[in-house]
Amino acid sequence: MRLRVQYTAQLRTIVGCDEEEVDLPEGSNLAELLLHVASETCRDAATYLLAPGGGLQPSLLVAVNNRAISTREARAVPINSGDVVMLLPPIAGG
Amino acid sequence: MAPLPELTDDDRSRYEWQLWVRGFGEEGQRRLKATSVFISRIGGVGGTVAMQLAAAGVGRLILAHAGDLRLDDLNRQMLMATGGIGKPRIESAVRRLRDLNPHVAVEATAENVDETNVERLAGCADVIVSAAPRFEERLHMNRQAVRRGVPMVDCAMYELECRLTTIIPGKTACLSCLSPERPPNWNREFPVFGAVASSVGSIAAIEVIKLAAGFGEPLSGRLLNFDLREMTFTTIDIARRADCDVCGLPSPTVAGYNAARRM
Repeated sequence: MRLRVQYTAQLRTIVGCDEEEVDLPEGSNLAELLLHVASETCRDAATYLLAPGGGLQPSLLVAVNNRAISTREARAVPINSGDVVMLLPPIAGG
Repeated sequence: MAPLPELTDDDRSRYEWQLWVRGFGEEGQRRLKATSVFISRIGGVGGTVAMQLAAAGVGRLILAHAGDLRLDDLNRQMLMATGGIGKPRIESAVRRLRDLNPHVAVEATAENVDETNVERLAGCADVIVSAAPRFEERLHMNRQAVRRGVPMVDCAMYELECRLTTIIPGKTACLSCLSPERPPNWNREFPVFGAVASSVGSIAAIEVIKLAAGFGEPLSGRLLNFDLREMTFTTIDIARRADCDVCGLPSPTVAGYNAARRM
């Protein structure tokens, strides 16, 4: 199945594009998608997706079809063909 | 509950254009005049919030920001001026706000929020505005907002992107529900235009005005993410997390919040 991954903020700058299409096997979950993106992208971008000690980065916010999902529950979230997955690394004021 | 303050003739003249706003009117202006707002910090984002709230006639602004003004602050910190370089930011901010509207009570301290001072600084505010560049500060303010059951408007920016949500403790996701810990790779100096900071700061100010006056629909339970490079605006539904360390169910001692009833 094919879905769209959208990058925002620092991830968008590092990856160098707004969004990409990603192919994954049917029945994949959100955690598998994020791990796939982390494995395909550059090391700097992967630090926004992966925790230093392993697993997914808890501070990364993900939105699937405009519904926010914590990486802590990503394994329980199925994804489907045509989904739009937005990656939102935390940003702040200043 | 204390009676709402009356409007003076000067108030009616100064705020005439916003008194025409549907759903606001004299009642809304009086509610705004009765409202105290804590803002940390008063740089590009928080400074815009403070300036817009002062212009709109909020009752009291409580401001916190440590340090002296630097030349590289001036692309976005609209309360500051070139002559203030090397002097405390808070002094420039207070001077500018009092020039803008002498009827607003402005209290300011040259310190940043931490675990030891957050209750003293933000403890009597009706609304908290989180505009600091450091996540630790934002998370301290979030805990304070949840503990006291007062709303917090959280605003952020990066390059040409902005994010904003209005947290209503006990009802909506708190900041910790969204990002429970300090991101390991955050750099507190980042690319941004002053116009981007002012954009998100102005929206945050409108959120405060709506909360205080009890009209409109606040951005609660929703995260606005907008990109001024491509002019795209996305609203993301956000939900409380039952396992949140700060606001997780069962609800902590949150009194609930209803702006129209409280103020």
